[in-house]
Amino acid sequence: MVLVFAVSGIAVNHKDDWNPNYQVTHKLIQAPVTKWHETSDEILLSQIFNYIDEGLEVKATYWASPTQFKVFLKNDGNITLNLDNHQLILEHIEARPVFQAINRLHLNETHRAWIVFSDLFAGLLIFLAISALFMVKGKYSPWGRRAILVAFGFIIPLGFIYW
Amino acid sequence: MYYKSMLVAALLLLSFPDLAFAKNLNFGTEVDLKQVTKISTILEQPDKYLSSPVTIKGTVVGVCKKRGCWMTIASDKRFENLRIKVRDGDMVFPMSAKGSQAIATGKLNKIEFDLERTKQIKAQQAIAKNEVFDPASVTEPLVIYQLVPTGVSILDQ
Repeated sequence: MVLVFAVSGIAVNHKDDWNPNYQVTHKLIQAPVTKWHETSDEILLSQIFNYIDEGLEVKATYWASPTQFKVFLKNDGNITLNLDNHQLILEHIEARPVFQAINRLHLNETHRAWIVFSDLFAGLLIFLAISALFMVKGKYSPWGRRAILVAFGFIIPLGFIYW
Repeated sequence: MYYKSMLVAALLLLSFPDLAFAKNLNFGTEVDLKQVTKISTILEQPDKYLSSPVTIKGTVVGVCKKRGCWMTIASDKRFENLRIKVRDGDMVFPMSAKGSQAIATGKLNKIEFDLERTKQIKAQQAIAKNEVFDPASVTEPLVIYQLVPTGVSILDQ
């Protein structure tokens, strides 16, 4: 449980720099100046597959704008053809199933029962943190020299709030 | 050893149910197939559809990469689409939905931006498309329509 929250916490913290749920890769193909068949999607597709030599099965097609045609593939990829600059962008999407699963838990995107369970877990963590202050006596007590560690537990978050 | 393997396989299937069963993917309440309205019809006079729930159907042509909180559904008319948007986490649409057919029932929502915000949005769009943008070219505030769904079904996932 601690690992679920810690690992997905790092992933979610960096979601602006790195997509924790999917690995998305792009391949740019510059086609030569071509007279693209804008009136027939079927002919246009055969033109596109002249430049992409992978065995790709088409799921659907879509005209995003008069100069942009998209092809969605069955292998979780898609091709964007920009008719004005004759560029083909092949996008491949690969899920990161482990991160997806733990991020769903961390962000409460599953069942309501999970919220109840994680509330209980959080309650136990609070008990663990508070009881730890009183359970150890003597030399290793957190109220002697080790009080400095307890103080840091307060100073660090307060520092980030007021600094 | 056999039981250990079975246990690991069962745990994997339970952890990643999407891998185990490739079927329709349903979110929220059931979609209302009796009320399907063409996206082009809605977008011709969107204000007419603000008061009561509507159902749309079309190809998924865009999905939110980060939280799966929106999907763009292609219209029956070229170059046109309608976005369906949920609160983060309410429904999580997978990127594998791209290219699949989806049905969504919900309420159409109208969002009106002021001129300043419109310029910011257009500037961001221009950057994304690698285009030159002149703020002076924006003279009208932007109005967008999106469907807030109560139920979504992604077919043949």
